[in-house]
Amino acid sequence: MDIIAARDLTVGYGRTEVLCRVGFSIPEGRITAVVGVSGSGKSTLLKTLAGLLPPIEGGFEFDGRPVDYNSEASLSRLYEKIGVLYQDGALLNGLTLYENVALPVRMQYPQLPEDVVGDMVHAGLAQVEMADSAAKFPAELSGGMRKRGALARALVLNPDLVFCDEPSSGLDPITSRRLDDLLLELKERNRMTLVVVTHELRSIDRVADRVLLLNEGAIRFAGDYADLAGSGDDFVRTFFLRKDHHDDA
Amino acid sequence: MTETPLAASSPRTILLPRRMRAADVVSALGELRRASPDAPLAFDFKDVEDFDASTLAFLDHLTGSKTVALPTNVPEPLARAGRTFARRPGARWPEEEQRPPSGTRTGRFLRGLADRFLGHVKVLGAFLAMFGDEVYHLGRYVKERKGVYPGETWNQMYFMGYRSFPIVCLLMFLVGVTISITSANQLKLFGAGLYIADLVGYAMLRELVPLMTGVILAGKVGAAITAELASMTVLEEVDALRTMGVVPERFLMVPRLIAITFVVPLLVAMADVVGIFGGVVVARAMFNMTPTEFLKEMINTVDWADFGWGLLKTVVFGWAVVVGSGFKGLTVGRSAEEVGRATTESVVLSVTLIIVIDCLFAFVIY
Repeated sequence: MDIIAARDLTVGYGRTEVLCRVGFSIPEGRITAVVGVSGSGKSTLLKTLAGLLPPIEGGFEFDGRPVDYNSEASLSRLYEKIGVLYQDGALLNGLTLYENVALPVRMQYPQLPEDVVGDMVHAGLAQVEMADSAAKFPAELSGGMRKRGALARALVLNPDLVFCDEPSSGLDPITSRRLDDLLLELKERNRMTLVVVTHELRSIDRVADRVLLLNEGAIRFAGDYADLAGSGDDFVRTFFLRKDHHDDA
Repeated sequence: MTETPLAASSPRTILLPRRMRAADVVSALGELRRASPDAPLAFDFKDVEDFDASTLAFLDHLTGSKTVALPTNVPEPLARAGRTFARRPGARWPEEEQRPPSGTRTGRFLRGLADRFLGHVKVLGAFLAMFGDEVYHLGRYVKERKGVYPGETWNQMYFMGYRSFPIVCLLMFLVGVTISITSANQLKLFGAGLYIADLVGYAMLRELVPLMTGVILAGKVGAAITAELASMTVLEEVDALRTMGVVPERFLMVPRLIAITFVVPLLVAMADVVGIFGGVVVARAMFNMTPTEFLKEMINTVDWADFGWGLLKTVVFGWAVVVGSGFKGLTVGRSAEEVGRATTESVVLSVTLIIVIDCLFAFVIY
């Protein structure tokens, strides 16, 4: 079953269209990589799917129901079921890591006793191997730790779908690999659906089940990662040819 | 680069190399500089296969040049890259440069003025919409008691009140001294030194303390709010809050509005005391007036209504500062440099709002 189904979706900023009348679906329980060159609209698409940027035209269904940007209830329903890992983590600098992870729990369920909140936070931090850093502020954490902490915050309410915006960017290969392994583990163990926006071809190779390749306002390829090799599209082949250069390096 | 000999009437053509780099562009530009209308020049790009940004810039330069023939034999990959390069941000499109401006000069001036006016009206509309939103969020918070981080209101009260207290007191004391010295010289001329108490009390309670406290809050609290919220917006923390199901306009603004509402009366009360104390010091030094005489005379003129109006005005100023600076912080763009610009603009906006509101109060009170 598809968790997201978009039809004739046009996204952009103001009157500037970044993606024009695209249609695609995101299947449940799999990792979909949204890829493309810089400026192809990956992050803009993510913002629209995460309920942050209203589409210019068209729309999409989340879990079988259309998302209405004019309805607070519709957006709240979307926010309850998604988690987002932002490019730089976007942890709140004034709060400790513990408080950052506790934030969505405290805000969504203010009636929960503090010891229950504490257990949830510690379980979330343990999942990303950050339990020892709970008392630290974001400024005291490395880039990789901030991303893992932000992932713990995105996962703490056990969402159905997690969006990851450039999870590997700015990370060394070892940390990047650990993060990829973590995403795979989430998919396998929690049956979670993940949408990973990236242009790191190695990372796509490791984690992606499906690929959405964007270019010049359109979707150039949408399908299983395994089917990419058989694509006759010149752009698809050129884009993924770069993978060989990366691997050789 | 090789030169192709041509007939006298044809331009001299320079054949550009297969691999073109900045050094070749420099050399070509040298040739171009030496060219004259009597000895025209053309560049042939047919062999260029490998090029970089300098080649694209050179091509762009040639397209816009009037002293050289248009580049010839430009291979398709280079032409495609050249078109993209010409569309880069900040590039001047030749057709735009040549297009004559439409309408008369007065018409264009009026159109520009109208566009600017409409732009300001749009911003004002957005600000008023945010003000309405904040009143709604405050009401919902008071009713539901959720959507705000526990303890945040106390943090804000500490920052806005305790941390602003020394600077407010120091400045109000100095303002009290200044206004007393300024008026004392005039009062001396008429032998009316006693009335310094009335003047200082009335001016401080009704006008100077509210206005100066508002301006200090705009500079200290308002700038800090904008800088913090703008940084959060740029670093996607505001987006993160939204996708966590948190309403940023409530989570970030309501604690600040509650804090300013409770902190301002305390600040104003202290500022009144300190400002009047400044007047007492000057009256003692210049007229040998005792503090008791000063206060007795002051109480004859000012009453609790003066204090109350001053207090009310400052609370309204505080709200204007918080909403104005929050508006600037939450509507900032996505680049770090906009944080600085938004902070400056927020101080200007807050001070403007304070003066406009003060003027409106003047019509109501007097």
